[in-house]
Amino acid sequence: MTLTDDELVARSRGGDAESFNQLILRWERPIYALAYRVIGREEDARDVCQETFLRAFRALPGFKGQAKFSSWLYRIALNLCRDWIRRQRRAPVMQMPEGVDPGELAAERGPVESIEDLVGRRQLSAVVEEAMELLPEEQRTAIILKEYHGMTFQEIAEMQGCPLSTVKTRLYQGLTVLRRHLEKNGRMRPQLVKRS
Amino acid sequence: MSETFTCGDHGALVSYLYDECAPNERRAISAHVAICRACAAELTALGATREQLARWTPPDAQLGFKIVSDAPASNVLRPSRWWQKPMPAWGQAAAAALIFGTGLTLGALRGATSPADRGPAGSARQQPTATTRAANTAAVTRADLAALEQRLRSEMSLVRSTGNTGSTSNTGITIETAATAPGDARLLERVRTMIQESEQRQQRELALRATEMVRDFDAQRNDDLTRIERMLGQMDGTTGVEVAQQRQMLNYLMRVSQRGQ
Repeated sequence: MTLTDDELVARSRGGDAESFNQLILRWERPIYALAYRVIGREEDARDVCQETFLRAFRALPGFKGQAKFSSWLYRIALNLCRDWIRRQRRAPVMQMPEGVDPGELAAERGPVESIEDLVGRRQLSAVVEEAMELLPEEQRTAIILKEYHGMTFQEIAEMQGCPLSTVKTRLYQGLTVLRRHLEKNGRMRPQLVKRS
Repeated sequence: MSETFTCGDHGALVSYLYDECAPNERRAISAHVAICRACAAELTALGATREQLARWTPPDAQLGFKIVSDAPASNVLRPSRWWQKPMPAWGQAAAAALIFGTGLTLGALRGATSPADRGPAGSARQQPTATTRAANTAAVTRADLAALEQRLRSEMSLVRSTGNTGSTSNTGITIETAATAPGDARLLERVRTMIQESEQRQQRELALRATEMVRDFDAQRNDDLTRIERMLGQMDGTTGVEVAQQRQMLNYLMRVSQRGQ
């Protein structure tokens, strides 16, 4: 029987560490993915992920269930990412793959995907990462929350502490910058239709 | 929500793109997009961008974090122990003061056992060393002096004896000795040869050095001359280009002024 987040949270608050471990198991991948996409460094994203759950565990007695547990976790993770970015005192540097080694790729993945596909996907990831690096933190976070975590405009607005219209503007501006970068790198065909 | 759509309303377009708008708003945007090529193209481009974004996957990572109560593990999420935490400033200051005080006390204790308080044993231990050194120095000096005196005396007597035998020259001991001892004459000859060879070697080296210096000087001079010539050429070229530009400008001005007339 699969317990809901709320049930696991209630058990955890009652002192059941194993229930919290189930919550970790359920949410560590999305939190890691969020941290990685925001700060762009694998090791640091892992650290942020670990710190997120540590803070959540410590603050669990104060969590009254006003928001969804996942939203609460995302908020903690985003705050940690923001702290990390401030500590770096510069725009986050995305880890660019220095060179694609087909042998290494073939070894780390399975034979399901062809090496050509793997190389292409890795290169595309690099281009997208590069484009995301161009965005300001707010735009990047809004796009990540929307695209990869399926949050609604309202949830993003609450998470970022801004009006709904600001979220839409951030999304539009961010997507436009990404689109231009991808077009410049030949990943997309440019649209040349002008507004009348 | 409005039932009309204003062309270029980005917020509404984003809502439409993510399918997060009211049905009537959606209808209005759909109707506009059907007739506005710009908005349709923009929506297509944003949709295509989203497709590209969907292919961005983060790298795999070994996670598996766990909350544990007591067991030590690598992924244990637990605060550090008191001895692992950094010491507060007041603690560090207290430790420093304690160490300084201890050092001061030890220093004072050692100062109390100075040479004056050490008693006769200490000075007695040092005295023989100084005496021995002085005695050694004195013994060496006396022996040297004795040897020197002995040598001078023998040389004086030798000079006197050779002077009595009617030597043709009184210019120096060496010549007189050479005349009297054939073995020494051979030695003297060898020394002279060696000196001559050494002089020749030195002259050769000197000549070599002088040649090298002359060669270096010539090379440097040639380099400098080449550089100066190159610079002059560049200056000539620059000046020539400027003159040509000025001439062109003058020609142009002339033509323009003639056209005006």
